[in-house]
Amino acid sequence: MGVNPIDIIREYLPFLASGTLFTIGFSLAGIVFGTILGLLVCFGKMLNNKVLSAPFVCYITFFRGTPLFVQILLIHFGVVPAIFGQSNGIISGIVALSLNEAAYIAEVFRAGIQSIDEGQTEAARSLGMNRLQAMRYVVLPQAVHRVLPPMGNEFISLIKDSSLLAAIAAPELTYWAQAMGAQYAITWTPYLAISFIYLILTLTMSFLVNRLERRMATK
Amino acid sequence: MIKKLSVLSLLLTLVLIFTACSSGSGSGSSAKKETSKKVLRVVNDATYPPFESLDKGKMVGFDVDIMKALGKVSGYKYKLVNVGWDPVFAELKSKTADMSISAISITADRAKTYDFSKPYFLSTNKILVSKDSSIKSAADLKGKTVAVQTGTTGQAAVEKIVGKNNPKVKKFKTISLAIMEMQNKGAVAVVADNTVIEQYARNNPGKNLKVVEDKDAFEPEFYGIMYPKDSKLKPVFDKAINKLYSDGTYEKIYKKWFKVAPDLDTLKAQQ
Repeated sequence: MGVNPIDIIREYLPFLASGTLFTIGFSLAGIVFGTILGLLVCFGKMLNNKVLSAPFVCYITFFRGTPLFVQILLIHFGVVPAIFGQSNGIISGIVALSLNEAAYIAEVFRAGIQSIDEGQTEAARSLGMNRLQAMRYVVLPQAVHRVLPPMGNEFISLIKDSSLLAAIAAPELTYWAQAMGAQYAITWTPYLAISFIYLILTLTMSFLVNRLERRMATK
Repeated sequence: MIKKLSVLSLLLTLVLIFTACSSGSGSGSSAKKETSKKVLRVVNDATYPPFESLDKGKMVGFDVDIMKALGKVSGYKYKLVNVGWDPVFAELKSKTADMSISAISITADRAKTYDFSKPYFLSTNKILVSKDSSIKSAADLKGKTVAVQTGTTGQAAVEKIVGKNNPKVKKFKTISLAIMEMQNKGAVAVVADNTVIEQYARNNPGKNLKVVEDKDAFEPEFYGIMYPKDSKLKPVFDKAINKLYSDGTYEKIYKKWFKVAPDLDTLKAQQ
């Protein structure tokens, strides 16, 4: 009682700062690995051979169909210890966010690619391009432009979803807010403080995506 | 079809909102009424065996049995609700709950914000490590990664040794997550109340665990029932606790859960 919120925030400022860096790090890693993996999964799912595309379909079904929180616990206490011999909150966090993000990105990309008229591929093929070239030089550049807004959405959700990593003691923003709240038995100060920080992060992200959209806009 | 579905989902949403509202206002009005026979809202964090945990959806544990006995002695009806550790404190602070019995250690800090009953349990923090661990005392934890439950006295005890908010102290929402972290070698030790980790080590003989005691570093703690400040229930249940001590009920419940006899003299000396 009687503890000044400003003093508490000042005390926890270094932790909130490092927590913010971790949140940014987790989000960036999730965006980069998730996008790369998502693109691969997307092409895998679009394979014409049903047998070959089946694993990718399963992948998307699992990671979109189960809660991210459950995936985090599975990966942290199951997968990562099985591979590395010990649990590690930071590795688990990056792996869980990337795998989850990839499933969503794959579907976003598929929508983008399939929204490009079939006639464009046919035109490219009739100009002598092979399928790969048609994809690389004709379809993908237009698809990327179309999927930017939904991708921006995904990236913003990813920043917010990274807060779930507090459960496995990954030292990100929410983790420190919980520590702060538990120590002083307070609610408003820690959670409003990190809400503000999350808002800055998500607003920055939407600003960046907007700028990218404008730069890529076809005149 | 789609229309039907949307009507259905709208109905479902409305029902959800109504139930949420009615249960909310229900507990609010019951908190205002000060009749002696109202149903008390008793909150806990049922993730802490053997004190309180869920067994096939049913709440079981030492605290649950003590509360049952206290209810019988005091004549109060109550409803035990699992709300989680942090919400226990939030609910008592905002007086949406009447009391909490949840293995809460009585500390000077907490006593500033809440009222405590007479102590009903004696506990000490101990260290859970794997059998081949080199850790023999609390001082050995320096520089090691230690898992604790957020906001517990176990966390405070470790931080007193290694420094507050040391990044090597991993804080988990529940004690079982902290123990899992240690078993997956993400931490070398767990510091928590002796009864919890002793029972865990005893129940899991195949996991090669041992419990390290350090009486000099970790002081004994007493658990109390926690109330909002200036609760009228405190004297009622203090009397009930003493009744359980004197008529042997306490000892019976203690032996049921911990397999040993309680140290009643130390407990009574604290009153």
